[in-house]
Amino acid sequence: MTEPVLRTENLTKRFGGLAAVNDLSFSLASARLHAIIGPNGAGKTTLFNLVSGLVTPDNGRVFFHGHEITGLKPHRISRLGVKRTLQIKSVFPRLSVAENLWITVRGGRGFLNPFRFAASDRATAEKVDRTLTQIGLAPLAHRQAGTLSYGDVALLEIGMAVISEPRLLLLDEPTCGMSPAETSRAVEKIRELARSIDIVIIEHDMEVVFEIAHDITVMAQGGILASGSPREIAADERVREAYLGREEDEDYVEEAAHASA
Amino acid sequence: MTAVSIERVLLLALATFLVAVPWLVPAMVNDFWVSVVAEILIWSLLAASVNLLFGYIGLLSFGQALYFGFGMYGVAIGVDAFHLSFWPAFALGVVAAMAMALVTGIFAVRLTWHYFAIITVVFSLIFYFLALSNKWLTGGDDGINFTLPPTFDTFGFHHSFTDPTFQYFFILAVAALCLLVMYRLVASPLGKAFLAIRDNDVRASLIGLNVYLLRLTAFVMAGFLAGVAGALFAFFGRYASATYMFYHVSGEAVVWAIVGGAGTLLGPLVGTALFIIVREVVSTHWEHHSLIVGVVAILVVIVAPRGVIGIWDDWMARLAAGGDDAPSGAIELRTEP
Repeated sequence: MTEPVLRTENLTKRFGGLAAVNDLSFSLASARLHAIIGPNGAGKTTLFNLVSGLVTPDNGRVFFHGHEITGLKPHRISRLGVKRTLQIKSVFPRLSVAENLWITVRGGRGFLNPFRFAASDRATAEKVDRTLTQIGLAPLAHRQAGTLSYGDVALLEIGMAVISEPRLLLLDEPTCGMSPAETSRAVEKIRELARSIDIVIIEHDMEVVFEIAHDITVMAQGGILASGSPREIAADERVREAYLGREEDEDYVEEAAHASA
Repeated sequence: MTAVSIERVLLLALATFLVAVPWLVPAMVNDFWVSVVAEILIWSLLAASVNLLFGYIGLLSFGQALYFGFGMYGVAIGVDAFHLSFWPAFALGVVAAMAMALVTGIFAVRLTWHYFAIITVVFSLIFYFLALSNKWLTGGDDGINFTLPPTFDTFGFHHSFTDPTFQYFFILAVAALCLLVMYRLVASPLGKAFLAIRDNDVRASLIGLNVYLLRLTAFVMAGFLAGVAGALFAFFGRYASATYMFYHVSGEAVVWAIVGGAGTLLGPLVGTALFIIVREVVSTHWEHHSLIVGVVAILVVIVAPRGVIGIWDDWMARLAAGGDDAPSGAIELRTEP
């Protein structure tokens, strides 16, 4: 078997007394769409923050395609090809849709020449145009991203993920807050992306997870509770307990809402 | 008329007015107002320095007077102590300001928002008191008076700031050049990276932008603008003084930039012009003219957070929307982190 896309060794991050991620060791095989689920506070987003360099671990190591990336700055990790989205939709609100895509392409490579016009970069402009058409935002190319509807921002996020040509894409709750129609559109897009890119997705919507994931990892209290195929996870008693045992859990409520929708 | 053509006509009118100032203004008012316009142009560069940081990369500095002061002292010490001619002294002022911005920026741009604002104030206060106490170098409160060297003294050209018309055009040319550089910068790949960091620094780092290095770059560029302003002001007044390094000066530049419209090219010029004209008109009649500054600043921040240029853009957007009903992006956005 080849080197895993992503591997962690005894990864630990504490916030005060709380171990948000606790001695976590796992590895992700290539060409699989991997989902991470778990109740709130399980450490999923902290794990993404550790991998993408937004926080540095207290202990343990992270490897990307066999190269250690532990403790590197976010922009260095990004330039290696690890791209991510944030849990709360996060674009550049005062830039236009096209500019958002443009800077996403140029952010990761090349010299940011102050003596040239950004508009004279034909190659990037063409790439932006192609992506705009691909994600269906071409009519809104010159709108300020901050004025877009929630669903369009989500599409832009996906466009930014695509155009950055990631080797590994980390999606943090990409369908959170979307309408059912928007969700199915996003799911379609993610599935299409997964054919050429390694993707790890954090998702609360179980319907989405079981629909698209090849592998599922369940996290709880900073560690891995279970890991396996959707079928195995669905049958796992411990997972049921973690999710359904606590009736006041927000996830449970959210899931119920989706089930009745 | 469409919005675009109105703006073009106004810009052309502004440019024509600025070129005609040495003849038009004495005819309309008196000679004194020519130097007021020159002063507005100089101070607008300090406001532009605040604007580059606040409006384009999202860092609010309350210490830009420090680099203005270094520009001033670079020129004054260069001429007075080292007997430099005009251009080397000018260069010394600007380079001193940029070097200072680099040294302080290395520490300051690690921080953002109020922490950044506080550290910039602290740096400027430290050097303000150092300048006050080291009288042998800076002249302290009295400052340094120097004899003006000629600007051009070669190939039969003899021009110096003693000729008010030449002085005005030199200042106008430098201010226009700085504005052009700003315009090019904002439209350049580097400028786009600045804007991305202003909008969302975490996201910017995740798409591969080196946020720290880019902020430091912007900080040194802002030091350049403040340094040019300081160097010009030294030649304009034939002296340098520590009082111009006080944070009161930095604060005024922040007000000018924000009232004029942060994140716009002409905002700093408009804001500076507004306040200096009010000051010149009112201060002869009423000593408490700074009350007006305060009231206007508070009103603008509450009523029109994007400044005078922001109000103008909204008008133009409404005018443009009269033709077609496309939304014009004139929607207020949060700028908090």
